[in-house]
Amino acid sequence: MKRRLGHFLVRVGAIAAKEVLHIRRDPRTLYMALVMPVLMLLLFGFGVSFDMDHIPLAVADRDGTRASRELVDAFVAPGEFALARRAGPEEAGDLFRRGRALALLVVPRDYERDLSRGAGPRLQLLVDGADPVTANQILAKADAIVRSVGLARARRAGLSAEPPLQVKVYTLYNPEARSAEYLVPGLAAYLMAIAAVLLTALTVAGEWERGSMEQLFASPVGRLDIILGKLLPYLGLGILQLLLVVGVGTAVFDVPIQGSPLAVFAFGFLFLIGMLGQGLLISVVTKNQLVATQAGALSALLPSMLLSGMLFPLENMPLALRVLSYVVPARYLVRGLRGVMLKGNGLGVLWPDLLAMAILALAILAVATGRFKRRLA
Amino acid sequence: MIGGRRPGLARVQFAATVRKEVLQTVRDRRVMFMLVAAPLIQTILFGFAVDFDVDRIPTVVADRDRSPESREHLRRLLADGTLRRTAVAGDAAEAERLIDRWDAAAAVVLPPGFGADLAAGRPAEVQVVLDGSDPNRSNVAAGAVSRYFGEVAESMMRDRLERQGLPSPALPTVAPRLWYNPSLRTAPFMVPGILSMLLVIVTTIVTAMGLSREREVGTLEQVMVTPIQPLWLLAAKMTPFVFIGLFDVLLVTTAGSWIFDIPLRGSLLVLFAGTLVYLLSTLGVGLLISTVSSNQQQSFLAGFLFALPAILLSGVMTPIGAMPAWLQAVTYLNPLRYFAEAARAILLKGAGFADVWFQLVALLAFGLAILGLAAARFHKRMA
Repeated sequence: MKRRLGHFLVRVGAIAAKEVLHIRRDPRTLYMALVMPVLMLLLFGFGVSFDMDHIPLAVADRDGTRASRELVDAFVAPGEFALARRAGPEEAGDLFRRGRALALLVVPRDYERDLSRGAGPRLQLLVDGADPVTANQILAKADAIVRSVGLARARRAGLSAEPPLQVKVYTLYNPEARSAEYLVPGLAAYLMAIAAVLLTALTVAGEWERGSMEQLFASPVGRLDIILGKLLPYLGLGILQLLLVVGVGTAVFDVPIQGSPLAVFAFGFLFLIGMLGQGLLISVVTKNQLVATQAGALSALLPSMLLSGMLFPLENMPLALRVLSYVVPARYLVRGLRGVMLKGNGLGVLWPDLLAMAILALAILAVATGRFKRRLA
Repeated sequence: MIGGRRPGLARVQFAATVRKEVLQTVRDRRVMFMLVAAPLIQTILFGFAVDFDVDRIPTVVADRDRSPESREHLRRLLADGTLRRTAVAGDAAEAERLIDRWDAAAAVVLPPGFGADLAAGRPAEVQVVLDGSDPNRSNVAAGAVSRYFGEVAESMMRDRLERQGLPSPALPTVAPRLWYNPSLRTAPFMVPGILSMLLVIVTTIVTAMGLSREREVGTLEQVMVTPIQPLWLLAAKMTPFVFIGLFDVLLVTTAGSWIFDIPLRGSLLVLFAGTLVYLLSTLGVGLLISTVSSNQQQSFLAGFLFALPAILLSGVMTPIGAMPAWLQAVTYLNPLRYFAEAARAILLKGAGFADVWFQLVALLAFGLAILGLAAARFHKRMA
């Protein structure tokens, strides 16, 4: 028994060594697989933000009085908006189509006179709604600016404007709302999915494409050994990527690990096992690298990004997608990593996620090895 | 003329190779399925899953006042659906524990005596506790609570001034008018972006892997010994993808307008022109990648190494204006940026050649440069 296990390990090790040799002989694969996490994390960490300032604003000041200039100043002086140009409302279409301005503010004639007479003047704000996030920001910012201008005038006129009711906001876990803390778990899921599903699917499909799989089968090495041997190096690569993402995240962006690092590892490991199974299944079914890429992108990369809660909250989605998300392993990984790293959750809270990942991983491995054996019988 | 001794002969060779490539691509049903069905699946997934307008945020409510007023305020706060009550807690500490355990992402705590304080004009305080692990969602939750109680505070202030016999202050108001996308839906914003991502996946990665495959199998060398000029061969290999790209554009815009009710305001001709110049870049990058990779696996990785940052820096997901200045400068080197801008302006805003000429010229320039560089490298490697 012990000797058989020893032989088994030797054979698996031999295949794994062959695959490692392939990778090492042409290390570009390795470089790219390791550069990708770092590059993506840096770009995401520095580049991804929805908060825009200096929003280009065109202004049509029909009043031209001190009060109207004060109002326009309140828009552009704090840096929320930047004065793109003076333009009439009839030019809005041109400006929006060419991206020269995202909003156009029209201050009506008699703005100052209306204010001093106690009538509330109406400002017109034309907004380019093509980008809903930015448009919402424009609406909220304009509303706040106009309100504060009005309240400042009321205070100067001696009308007290002390709000009797206050809202105090406490933010847990990521109080500065930094995108790196939010993105590291999701990014880890996405990058591990690339390594585990696609790289394995490609390497195994490649053996079939070139016909070398049949040669391997003719050798004394068992089929299970071949599979394990091919998958092992990519398990290592995936773990390396996880360490890189988490390492760069904590070192460069101060992303905390509140919980146990061992739990991070456990989540990553289970996720990788399932993803390797999926990669194997895809390669067995397609036996063609080009088709395997597309199948992997559709079945692993897209769901890992869209249906994991990595970027967009799941509870916001239509019911069908929410249901579908329960079979996406990345959903549990993102939740688990966020729980461990940001919230300091332990297994007491997260065991259902680990269990779900284990069940999904076992299921896909069973299907994949089943297909693999049948394919050869 | 590229290299042909007799232009007539070159044209015949080119036509024959195009026919062979088209046949080869169309014959492989699975590849065709992937080139046609995959874009459709992506469009539908993106269209339904991506929604920047966050609502249904799971919220735990701690009403420590338990008065009719506090219940009424909570009811009205939750009425618009941005926050959804998923749990009830006795106090702030319990609410925090519930957030810790993922039972809620936000908590609203009304203090004891809240209703009585408000009625008597004494200052009162509402506490909001947020799960900040998703900053966008916590912003929306905080905004919803602040907006509701801000309005309550303002109407109370007016009432008080009125009771004291003072005039309400004349406050200016904003009357917004939203162009192009009046209900601010996310899908009309996303679909033009999907187009630019999709064409990279379909053309760049597929071309790079296709050429690497020929190198792996050795068929490229076989064709090289035939009399056709290498550059004509390349052009012939890329021709099917130009048509697939144009077809995918048509497919995605049609699906977008049927399923997501996206307005098609601009001319299809301008969009096609934009797609053609954009394809020069995406195909060029694919070719370039194939010249630096030794197998399909590497081509795939390199394709992703190009595509992911390019998508991130294109303004498809987050506005370019929100990036730091140095990254904004980098986006000017990104063909995806120009195509995403142009596609959005054409489809949503009805832009014509006069509006997007800059983007089209930039795409043409990038396309010719990248394609030229890639062809030179390819030529050298083949020679």
